[in-house]
Amino acid sequence: MNENGKIDDKTIAALSSAGIILGGLLYYWLGEGQSTVELLELAYGSFKFFNNPLVF
Amino acid sequence: MINELLLQFAHWMEAQEYSQMLVAGYYSYSWLEATHVLTLMVSIGSLFIIDFRMLGWVMPNVPASTIAARLHKPMIIGFVIMFITGALLVYAKPVETIQSLWFRMKMILLLLAFINAWIFNNRLKSAKGNWDNDPVAPGPLRTGAIISLVLWCGVVTLGRYIPYDWVDCTNTTNTTILWAAGCVDQLNAL
Amino acid sequence: MLGSILSQYARSLAVFAVFLLMVLVEALGIREAIYPGLESFFNWMNQSSWIGVIGTTYGSVYATVEALHLLSMAVLGGTVLATDLRLLGMIFKDVPSETLVTGTHKCFRWALLMAILTGIFCAAGVGNKVYFMEVFWIKMLVLIAGSCFMLFIKQPLLTSRPHAQINPWTIRLVAVTSMLIWFTVAATGRWIGFS
Repeated sequence: MNENGKIDDKTIAALSSAGIILGGLLYYWLGEGQSTVELLELAYGSFKFFNNPLVF
Repeated sequence: MINELLLQFAHWMEAQEYSQMLVAGYYSYSWLEATHVLTLMVSIGSLFIIDFRMLGWVMPNVPASTIAARLHKPMIIGFVIMFITGALLVYAKPVETIQSLWFRMKMILLLLAFINAWIFNNRLKSAKGNWDNDPVAPGPLRTGAIISLVLWCGVVTLGRYIPYDWVDCTNTTNTTILWAAGCVDQLNAL
Repeated sequence: MLGSILSQYARSLAVFAVFLLMVLVEALGIREAIYPGLESFFNWMNQSSWIGVIGTTYGSVYATVEALHLLSMAVLGGTVLATDLRLLGMIFKDVPSETLVTGTHKCFRWALLMAILTGIFCAAGVGNKVYFMEVFWIKMLVLIAGSCFMLFIKQPLLTSRPHAQINPWTIRLVAVTSMLIWFTVAATGRWIGFS
């Protein structure tokens, strides 16, 4: 807010750019997470970080 | 003798089920290594800010002891994560890591860095006078900070060298390197 | 009237214009049109530019520059964490957040410059590979957006007035975004090596 009670330029720029970037990054990481879970499920039959090589 | 024992220990680790699982997993080894490297930002990042403050390069208007005290916790958390992930990385590939010249040099520098950190901490506690608000710390602390910076740069650089095979046991016939890297079988074959 | 609005909200309008430009580049297929032409540049970087030749010829030089890249990223991450965790009220509670924001910025800029210079060398050494990696382009996008965010948005806002006069949720949003940006840049960077 500036002295007139209006939201100032720097705040609008910060809120909008942070919103866009944060939204984009969350979308990216959630997508990565989902595809990773799918790949691990495909590889091991269920969501596991690794499998016992003796029962491959 | 020590090289033979280390190699035996490495072979024993390599035969462990979990060691093989870490390497064979789709992402397990990569995630472990990525966590190890990314945590540099927490551990070395905090440590270097403390060192830089001692040299007057960052926040000279904040008391040096405040910077050191407030960054101590994140730095320790970072180093604990690095040690756990580092140990697991060795556990996953024990033979090639234990026979890596770079890994061995890294461990020596790591030891020196910890001795330096211990001396630095003692100096920090016993440093008398009102230097705390000075933009630059007293000489002995500055020396400690520079040694810390050099040693940790060395640790990171040698860590980065480990995956490269320039002086692997199978790549050299230099007996000094073979002995220093602990290449027992290659030395016996010469 | 229009001129006054333009000058009063220049920064916000610039953010909007860049966002609109990105949407247009994507929607009109400009990115797909430009992409094939870049391959020759990446091959030139890798095979003909002097940094590419040094990087591909001398493995030890390449690995040492990689280590410098990691060290600059470590310093960059340290300054970002110290500042943003303070903005979130998690560390340095007895030091004013304004002091941290101004005190760490110079160090951040130097670390960023070092990381970019060493990063160009590293990318040139594997230019013919990174060109085809989605994760490399994600990193570049986040790096450019993140650098602009830090230099032209976050820092000007946080140095414009005492932080008590800024909405605490704006400060928190900016701090979380900044941390996620640099985590992403570092994580995608590490993933380039695995891909």
